[in-house]
Amino acid sequence: MLETLRLALAIAAKDVRLEFRSRTAFVSALVFTALVLAIFNFARDPTAVSASDLAPGILWITFTFAAMLGLNRAFGLERENRALDGLLLSPASRTALYLGKVLANLVFVGSVEAIALPLFALFFNVPILPVLLPLVLVIALATVGFVAVGTLMSSMAVNTRLAELMLPVLLLPFLVPPVTSAVQITARLFAGRPFSEALGWLRLLVGYDVIFVVACILFFESTIEE
Amino acid sequence: MTPTEQAERTLRRTVPLIVVAVVLVAAVYVRALVFTPYEMVQGPAQKIFYIHVPSAWVAFLAFGIVGVTSVVYLFLKDPRLDLFAASTAEVGMVFTTAVLVTGPIWGKPIWGTWWTWDARLTLTLFLWFVILGYLILRTAVHEPGQRARYSAVLGILGALLVPFIHISVYLFRTMHPMPVVLRPGRPTLPGEMLATLLFGFAVFTFLFAALLRYRYALARLADARAHAEAERADA
Amino acid sequence: MPENGGFMVAAYVAAAVIYLSYTVYLLRKGLRKD
Repeated sequence: MLETLRLALAIAAKDVRLEFRSRTAFVSALVFTALVLAIFNFARDPTAVSASDLAPGILWITFTFAAMLGLNRAFGLERENRALDGLLLSPASRTALYLGKVLANLVFVGSVEAIALPLFALFFNVPILPVLLPLVLVIALATVGFVAVGTLMSSMAVNTRLAELMLPVLLLPFLVPPVTSAVQITARLFAGRPFSEALGWLRLLVGYDVIFVVACILFFESTIEE
Repeated sequence: MTPTEQAERTLRRTVPLIVVAVVLVAAVYVRALVFTPYEMVQGPAQKIFYIHVPSAWVAFLAFGIVGVTSVVYLFLKDPRLDLFAASTAEVGMVFTTAVLVTGPIWGKPIWGTWWTWDARLTLTLFLWFVILGYLILRTAVHEPGQRARYSAVLGILGALLVPFIHISVYLFRTMHPMPVVLRPGRPTLPGEMLATLLFGFAVFTFLFAALLRYRYALARLADARAHAEAERADA
Repeated sequence: MPENGGFMVAAYVAAAVIYLSYTVYLLRKGLRKD
């Protein structure tokens, strides 16, 4: 168990180091995210709908895009990793490989989110500081859900010709429960509503994370078997 | 008998079953349209129910079969299970599409809107997307073993997704009441209507089974021919 | 009773088209293999 975690961390560290050496993907993801946020400002009628009504949805659609980008850039690394797969034969290593990939993707997506969040607060004039801690918790929980399922889907999509198209087609239905929950909880946080109102959604989000992380760990090895 | 001949025989033998099934569907149509009384509050459009609900039952049945077959495949690795799951997904897709088409046509006159994000329609929509992803994935992966494994994983995850979508919609709906012009509600069905509905269930399930048998035989045939060719190439 | 018979017809026809098209497609696929 400990060995698996250590191996996972090593794999994640390797991926993250590779990623930050070139930084192109990260910077592109940041720019894309900033542009999406900016475009959202114009994608509405300011006289009809206030920004605060749309804000939670805008935040989470933006984060979903960020997650897609993060998972997509992993494809390039994937092809380099082919050589590594041959070395990883034991079931424990396969779990470690999956967890390592998830961790690396979490670092990437999390970093983009960390910069996008203050930008979002700025563009849409949303006071996030009073609710920062629960907000970060929700973002973390939902992102874990996205990335866990997304990493599994990526490992299948990477072997198809149009991988970047295949990934959203496979993944998006699975993002409905975490995104819906995250938007509803975020909306209540922004509106200053009592947290008890969001408990149902929080339970759904946590339940989703638990079930799907376990399922993905179980099924990951079926996606890389030779 | 070679696998190829076996599959060809099943194909031939299933054609009469399909014909019978189509005739039975016509019988359901006649019974529903002519011999079943109208529902006074909803009007004639209520009769869409007799096509929509049995189709939905089959769609969910198919999805369940794909899920279960996928699990068994991951344990047994028998390629026939994969072919069966894929055939079920394809045939199931047809029934799911029928649900998504008849649903809004029923919804417009009854609820005043073509689409509502009610629990069942939403769940059916996402089922449709997952099966579509499943079928697209299969066309995009060429190695049969890999294709089978990927399909199985997607099939199982898709089945796991169902309760979560259901809960999401339920939680969502308790906040947003549905637009309502006429409330269909859940009345207890009078005998005539219940009989028609049950007849519909039986017939649509039979249609599903017949089409599935044919589709599966087609898959086995294609598979057998591919193997025969591969053997000839080796020789 | 509301006058929505048109919708009823539309749905029955649409469903018939969907099921028949697929059935024909499938049968033709089987015939072509021979």
